[in-house]
Amino acid sequence: MAGIVTLEKAFWALSVLLKAGLFALLLYRKNHRVYPYLFTYVLITLMQSAVLFATYRVWGFESPTARNVAWGVQGLVIAARALAVAEICRRVLARYRGIWALAWRMLLLTAVLVLVYAWAVSRPNWQLAILSTDRGLELAIAVAIVILLLFAKYYEIALGTTVCYLAVGLFLFSVFSVLNNTILETWLHSYATLWNLLGTLAFVASLLLWIWAVREKQPETLLEPELMPQGAYHALVPEINDRLKGLNEQLSQFWGVEANRP
Amino acid sequence: MSLSFYAFFGLVGILLLLFVWAVRKSARPGKTLPEARVLEECGRGHVGHLPQIRQALAEADSLYISEKASAFAVRRVRQERRRVALAYLSAVREDFQSLLRMAKVIARLSPEVVALHEFERVRLTLAFAWHYQIVRLQLLAGLMPVPGLDGLSDLVSGLSVRMETAMNELGERAALAAEMASSLDRRGPHVA
Repeated sequence: MAGIVTLEKAFWALSVLLKAGLFALLLYRKNHRVYPYLFTYVLITLMQSAVLFATYRVWGFESPTARNVAWGVQGLVIAARALAVAEICRRVLARYRGIWALAWRMLLLTAVLVLVYAWAVSRPNWQLAILSTDRGLELAIAVAIVILLLFAKYYEIALGTTVCYLAVGLFLFSVFSVLNNTILETWLHSYATLWNLLGTLAFVASLLLWIWAVREKQPETLLEPELMPQGAYHALVPEINDRLKGLNEQLSQFWGVEANRP
Repeated sequence: MSLSFYAFFGLVGILLLLFVWAVRKSARPGKTLPEARVLEECGRGHVGHLPQIRQALAEADSLYISEKASAFAVRRVRQERRRVALAYLSAVREDFQSLLRMAKVIARLSPEVVALHEFERVRLTLAFAWHYQIVRLQLLAGLMPVPGLDGLSDLVSGLSVRMETAMNELGERAALAAEMASSLDRRGPHVA
């Protein structure tokens, strides 16, 4: 156990160093103008480290005050991360006005649904309410990133290397947090120390990905495609859908595949 | 372990699979065509080759061969007919994908899209992929009897006329749209 605690401290120190490095890199490459919410998120996590360090020094690691402060700051951190994810979604899709209008509504709706689902399937225990909320938010973030990637793949929109690395880092950390919190919920006390260590490790891995992502200066504005007149969509797309339906029906009818099967 | 334990692990598993599938690069190089080229190429379906396919699958040919040729030759012809059916199936898919790509480009370049149309297209794509795989597997496994393919010529001739007309109409409109979109190509790639 003592070994794990020492290792955790070492990784915690490493994560603070990496956060400071990422913060400096964002400023040095002027990428804080391109990703202001990501920059704010990194700044908040840095402040979180300072606040937690001071809290643990004053009240001790196991004290209720330290726990309240830690979870309170965590709420702020996760909200900042959600905004960073929204910023990435916007950067990828907002140039395509029509798709973006559809995507942001879908992203928001799905995030809310996932949050409700996460709450619904959680253990009915008020002591674990914060943990459940944290897990629900992490799950919503992970789902939002997957939806963004699915949109980009479906509409053949290039993500770019930077966005890709940022998304991978955010997704992996969120997914790992969901699993880590789920295990913690089941084996609360026996897993707590390992939970901290694994969480820090996952965060270090994500930080390395983000540092790699923003190592070069990013263009502040991206080329916007020249949009078609509104009428083109309404004139062509329903007709194309009809043709697709026709091909589908011909295929299913001719070869005797049931047309209504998925 | 509670239900939520398995529920979250299952959900994360699904998310990971979707994530890997979504970030995975296409094995086929140059799959993402510039907007203008997609729109220009849309009108060029496989309709032009349908008369040859119709000939290859003609009932009269089949009857003639079974009367005149040896059993080996008849078997060989059946194999060839299956190959043609597979090729035709693949061509239908190409037509489907060509139309699909065109719709995606139009949606991408439109200031407003209708969610209903977009979701309908996703549903149709999934349905087509399902039907396509079922038919293809049946053909490959020889489960689909060759006589069952005789009616293909009727379908082909019917489709030929309807598709040719439709594709020509769409092609004309696509050419107009391509003109609008070609300016985008001249402005360079849309890489983030």
